[in-house]
Amino acid sequence: MRIATPLLALFRTLVYVFLLAPIVVVVLASLNAGNFLTFPPQGLSLRWFWTFLNNDIFLNAIAYSATLAACATAVSLVLGTMASLYFTRHAGKHAEAVRIAVLLPLILPEILTAIALLFFFYEIGVGTEHKIALFTGHVLMTLPFIFLNVNTSLQGRDDSIELAARTLGASRYTAFRRVTLPLIAPGLSTGAVFAFIISFDTFGISFILKGTGSAPLPIQLFDYLRFNFTPEAAAVSTVSILMTLVLVVAADLLFGRRD
Amino acid sequence: MTEVSLRSLQKFYGKTAALKAISLDVNHGEFVSLLGPSGCGKSTTLKCIAGFEDITDGRICFDNKDISRKLPEDRDIGMVFQSYALFPHMTVTQNLAFGLEMRHVPKAEIAQRVARAMEMVQLTPYADRYPKKLSGGQQQRVALARALVIEPAILLLDEPLANLDAKLRDEMRGFIRDLQKRVGITTIYVTHDQNEAMTMSDRVVVMFDGEIAQAATPEDVYNRPASERVARFVGNANILDLPIARTDAQGTTVTLPGGATLQITRPAPSGQSRLRVMARPEQITLTSADLGQLPGRIEKRYFSGGHVEYSVATDCGPLFVTGPTTQHFAEGDSVGLCFDPARLWPLPDAESAQ
Repeated sequence: MRIATPLLALFRTLVYVFLLAPIVVVVLASLNAGNFLTFPPQGLSLRWFWTFLNNDIFLNAIAYSATLAACATAVSLVLGTMASLYFTRHAGKHAEAVRIAVLLPLILPEILTAIALLFFFYEIGVGTEHKIALFTGHVLMTLPFIFLNVNTSLQGRDDSIELAARTLGASRYTAFRRVTLPLIAPGLSTGAVFAFIISFDTFGISFILKGTGSAPLPIQLFDYLRFNFTPEAAAVSTVSILMTLVLVVAADLLFGRRD
Repeated sequence: MTEVSLRSLQKFYGKTAALKAISLDVNHGEFVSLLGPSGCGKSTTLKCIAGFEDITDGRICFDNKDISRKLPEDRDIGMVFQSYALFPHMTVTQNLAFGLEMRHVPKAEIAQRVARAMEMVQLTPYADRYPKKLSGGQQQRVALARALVIEPAILLLDEPLANLDAKLRDEMRGFIRDLQKRVGITTIYVTHDQNEAMTMSDRVVVMFDGEIAQAATPEDVYNRPASERVARFVGNANILDLPIARTDAQGTTVTLPGGATLQITRPAPSGQSRLRVMARPEQITLTSADLGQLPGRIEKRYFSGGHVEYSVATDCGPLFVTGPTTQHFAEGDSVGLCFDPARLWPLPDAESAQ
């Protein structure tokens, strides 16, 4: 605690610069009036946003990624909550094994999960058809975020609250809906935001498992950047950064801690 | 009012017996405490009655109807948990209304009954507060009111005072007792605190190792314990192992070291040459060394406000004695101990105590 306050302030500023600079660069690059993705931008213009808004490939990719993220989040919410309830209440001496199993996709390099899934889905004869492999991959990637956040909401919670509801005449389901669910709602909403963003952003899983046809946004961007080097890519990134920002702020306003 | 009856209730966790075929009848409106050290099966018994645990064998009956297989929500019980288990996202009013909503009571009636319950536990000014804005004692009263507002057949209390500080605990003890008598509800109370059990209950059920060691009035459990273990668990007990001088119609005469005899007005278990006798600390009086039935020396003296506690070294081993504050003995003093034979309680021998 002997660090001088100005030094600490400097360090803090550097951390923020380090974290935020790439984002600022991307946003500024998207306002580029020139034809190439350069920094600093050559003149300011919104023309690349216009180009992007008229480019069905990117619009479709955003829609596709958003749908995929929404569906993966929805499934993860259900599975993650169930896993968390089991983990905190019933797993007993297997608790640690359950926790590691659910968190494995977070611990392992993403590419390993992706390759394992690829092998698995080819082995059972499904391959990358029908987006099943891709969807499974996204659920696996997002599951830990729901699981961890719901765990936090459940831990330190008194188990007897639900039992109290039972003695008052609530069935198992009603007790869950009226008592447990409201208590884990903060964990669910935080987890859902994380899950959505992770799914929206993830590259490795999507790259390996996407199959033919339409692709999620990060893959589409990657494909685009291999052959083009226009500020349109930066415009797409800026839009996706804005979407994420809106989501986080909205979630915080809606469900953020008020006490 | 409902009668609760446990018939050869057994509970196994794997191969470990938590309850070894216990049987107990709780009468209409009776306040019964299950008392014992942790792991004795008292909480398991309560969980079985509430329906949180499946029973391995035996039956639980409310008014002679077997409810052993019913779900907790169908058993018509009110329960107060050690942690109070209030719904943190609901106000006091909402907490109290929950059980009535589950029973589909009409809205107007809910409001009435909640208001009455709130009055009963003196919480009306706190109706719209959330539990975390209430003190421990207030939360406790909300939990009680929530359990009682549904007018359940029986009330179960699981160590409800364990989380309160000493002064509040004494206050709540009286409060719960009065409330229970006023409502007249059959109540089963689990505690490890013998003081609570004694002061509140009509009957105390002492449990050890998944079995009932004694079920009797507080007076009986204290003055006439069924075994040495009960004697030692409930209050302080001095156990004197004394040779029997003779047994006749008047009772049993035992000899103290030093030659004094005590006539105990109860027959000794037959075929024994020694008798184990229990004397509570306040049943022994201290006098000057030349007057007592048993000589001793004050080892330790503890002043505890209302009375003085002494540890006295004697030829029967160290004895624990409480005396009035008007009498003063210092550590190291030689004293005489006097026993009131009428209040000495002969304990059954070790085998029959099992």
